[in-house]
Amino acid sequence: MSFDLTIMIAGEAGQGLNTLSSILLKMLAQSGYHLFASQDYMSRIRGGHNFTKIRVSNKPLYSSVSASHLLVALNQESVDLHLNHLSSPSIIVHDLDTVQVNKTGEICDIAAPIRKIAVDSGNALYGNSVVLGILTALLKLELTGLTDILKASFVKKAAKDRKGNIKAATEGFRYLSDNFQNLNIPLGRVKEKNRMLISGTESIALGMMAGGLRFISAYPMSPSTGIFTYITSKAGRLGIVSEQAEDEIAACNMAMGASAAGARSAVTTSGGGLSLMCEGISLSGMAEIPLVIINMQRPGPATGFPTRTAQEDLDLVLHIGHGEFPRFIFAPGTAEEAFYTSIKAMNLAEKYQVPVFILGDQHLADSYVTLDRLNANKVKYKSYLAENGALKKPYLRYKITRSGVSPLAHYGQDKIHFIVDSHIHTEDGHISEEMNVAKKMVEKRFRKLNGMKKEFSGPQYYGPKNAKTLFVSWGSTYGAVRETIDCLLAEKKSVAMVHYNKIWPFPVEESIEILKSRKDICVVENNYQGQFERLLQRETNIKTGKPVLRYDGRPFDVQFIIDMFEKRQK
Amino acid sequence: MTQENLFHSSGKPAWCPGCGDFGILSSIEDALVNSGKKPHEVLIVSGIGQAAKLPHYINTNGFAGLHGRALPAAFGAKAANHHLQVLVTSGDGDIYGEGGNHFIHAIRRNIDITLIVHNNQIYGLTKRQASPTSDLGMVTKTQPNGVSTIPFNPLAIAITLDAVFVARSFSQEKAFTTQLIEEGIRTPGFSLIDILQPCVSFNTINTYKWYSERVYKLDSSHDPADKLQAYEKSSEWGDKIPIGILYKSARKTFLDDQFKPKDLPLFKRKTRMKEIISLINELY
Ligand SMILES: Cc1ncc(C[n+]2csc(CCOP(=O)(O)OP(=O)(O)O)c2C)c(N)n1
Ligand code: SF4
Repeated sequence: MSFDLTIMIAGEAGQGLNTLSSILLKMLAQSGYHLFASQDYMSRIRGGHNFTKIRVSNKPLYSSVSASHLLVALNQESVDLHLNHLSSPSIIVHDLDTVQVNKTGEICDIAAPIRKIAVDSGNALYGNSVVLGILTALLKLELTGLTDILKASFVKKAAKDRKGNIKAATEGFRYLSDNFQNLNIPLGRVKEKNRMLISGTESIALGMMAGGLRFISAYPMSPSTGIFTYITSKAGRLGIVSEQAEDEIAACNMAMGASAAGARSAVTTSGGGLSLMCEGISLSGMAEIPLVIINMQRPGPATGFPTRTAQEDLDLVLHIGHGEFPRFIFAPGTAEEAFYTSIKAMNLAEKYQVPVFILGDQHLADSYVTLDRLNANKVKYKSYLAENGALKKPYLRYKITRSGVSPLAHYGQDKIHFIVDSHIHTEDGHISEEMNVAKKMVEKRFRKLNGMKKEFSGPQYYGPKNAKTLFVSWGSTYGAVRETIDCLLAEKKSVAMVHYNKIWPFPVEESIEILKSRKDICVVENNYQGQFERLLQRETNIKTGKPVLRYDGRPFDVQFIIDMFEKRQK
Repeated sequence: MTQENLFHSSGKPAWCPGCGDFGILSSIEDALVNSGKKPHEVLIVSGIGQAAKLPHYINTNGFAGLHGRALPAAFGAKAANHHLQVLVTSGDGDIYGEGGNHFIHAIRRNIDITLIVHNNQIYGLTKRQASPTSDLGMVTKTQPNGVSTIPFNPLAIAITLDAVFVARSFSQEKAFTTQLIEEGIRTPGFSLIDILQPCVSFNTINTYKWYSERVYKLDSSHDPADKLQAYEKSSEWGDKIPIGILYKSARKTFLDDQFKPKDLPLFKRKTRMKEIISLINELY
């Protein structure tokens, strides 16, 4: 029997929502369930309304759904805001005294004495452990699974708090078992045990490190900060140097200095910071300095929605940096794809000596998903630095070659020295004002495109071969579109999808091959102008149908896409 | 000097004849020769401007990057390879104007580099606009009523931020400048050497004559360890301008905790796949 349950945990910032949901996620992942969890939070440290949605199933999941089956309401606002978005039947778990539910429809109201149990266990602050106990019993998970996690997470805390939290959890568990014995929750058992739980943030960071990252500089900006802090927290262990720059301009130029000296370097940022890196990226293009730029998108312009999601920076990334130079752009759709793409990005930046962009977004960054495994050896780290023996003397940093790629030396190599420069320069890096030098260098740089086009295969296809309607996703819209396809296929509709991770150099021929004979093409993206749709039309000359767009800062879900799609058919 | 000058380049600088930059270039060459370094062991980073063209006129590694951004790039290069001797050469507009924020934070960070500012109190490359160090009243096309913005005092700022080594020189005093650069190179941490450099084409006020009549060398009565005295000297400007080491204050450099001098440089470190795999396994 297949099952698919969504749990929403809602409350205000400062109520321990994150800890609560991460412990629940961990228990569920260890029990072998497939999970997809997305976060919706406000740009504030205290108060406001935040929630995490955890979807649990026995089959792999790729996105969130709109309706929840189980609401854990940590405050009254959570009930008021979400009551009308619950599926029927549904369950609400809340504190008996502080939160009220006006029952409408088929709601099982679990008004538990959460606060009282917490106080009886030693401290009102143990409330979330009571909730975890209740959920453990409700979801028919092992109590020991919970107490083990609590023990481990309170290991550095006072013994009193450790014991208190465990007692609170146990009492919560008992309360539910005693009072709601016959409550049936649509959550079956699964055979497998212990799945990996990973966020987009972690997968990009791990990919960058597996791809040989040595130096990272950044300036904090949501939703990219998590990648920077994750790498920084592991920097000592991995022999990486990480530095918080004074601004994004510095961050970008620091990374380039490190890269010219031979260390694989990257920056992480979001739109506003990327805007400040514009000139630096142009230098990477001119001086042919390898650089990986992780841009996690949020709605703009200007400060926009700091903690929400968008795909509004595609046009920016396609064009950022004055002048003309080749670049790579990737937009991974899942945590798994993000991992492998990040390794590849680190390799490709050095192989072609160009800037490489990874376009992620808040939805990808903050969503957690279960995976079976990540194979750190599937995409191998490979160095493209030329060692002394391989270098002809005199060494020419910008030697004109057929591939457009010149041998890459680094500073400090025995008896070799060279200059990198931001002007039009000769093969040996010196400033030139000759028109022929300019022409030859422009052509050399753009010859790299021949090789670059062959790296990374074209778009991925999913669904029946000759489907009439083709949905198109790029970046994090992959998940919701993929589930939409499954849903529509189950209704016997003739649909399939193509997903773009590699965006630039645009896979023109591969795209035309797939798209040319389709009746209807529907691009799904998180912006107002249909930026990818326009790119697709420009590059392939193929007309697409009306796109499905969302620009309210929220990610897509299946229901949203299907509603828009049906409206569009009328 | 008997040592062979491996740093001398046959390239012809595109500077105006008589420009103060020539003197600075020759002092840098001499200081590098005296330091015993080989060209492949040195990196000179610059921004954009007349001064910033210097890496093109010397035989060693160069990073001629963006206007104002030399210091961050130098930081990155030094972090990637702490065996490199890293110098930054650029103009006053570049370092104190466009790159002013980086100037402040590079001093705070205290990376082991030597910053040489060609301070001609004007924008040379873009043909005479006021720079952050232009004197009050200087008339240019972009300041037709004369500069009314208080001049930036790089030395006072550097002293406030406890830069490890703060000095001023005058490009015509070649041997003296060489000595200061040598000492800057020897000193671990961030060294600032602000060099008064006549721009013969555009600065008709602060000329060779003007500087020559005013500069005097600090003698042993000045104690560079005395911060208050250093402040006093840093604000001496006008009739008398002190040159020499104004301030010294040793402290730990940015990379001290991460690399011992003999350690493999960052860029040579292996990718620790075992650690990455164990990080992945921690996700279960
Ligand atoms: C981002 C940017 N803005 C402006 C310029 C134009 N520009 C080049 S050099 C310069 C000023 C140089 O003055 P300074 O640093 O004092 O050097 P000098 O030429 O006097 O040696 C300016 C404004 C530029 N190259 N880049
Ligand atoms: S313009 Fe001034 S600073 Fe530039 S080269 Fe000529 S004299 Fe020197």
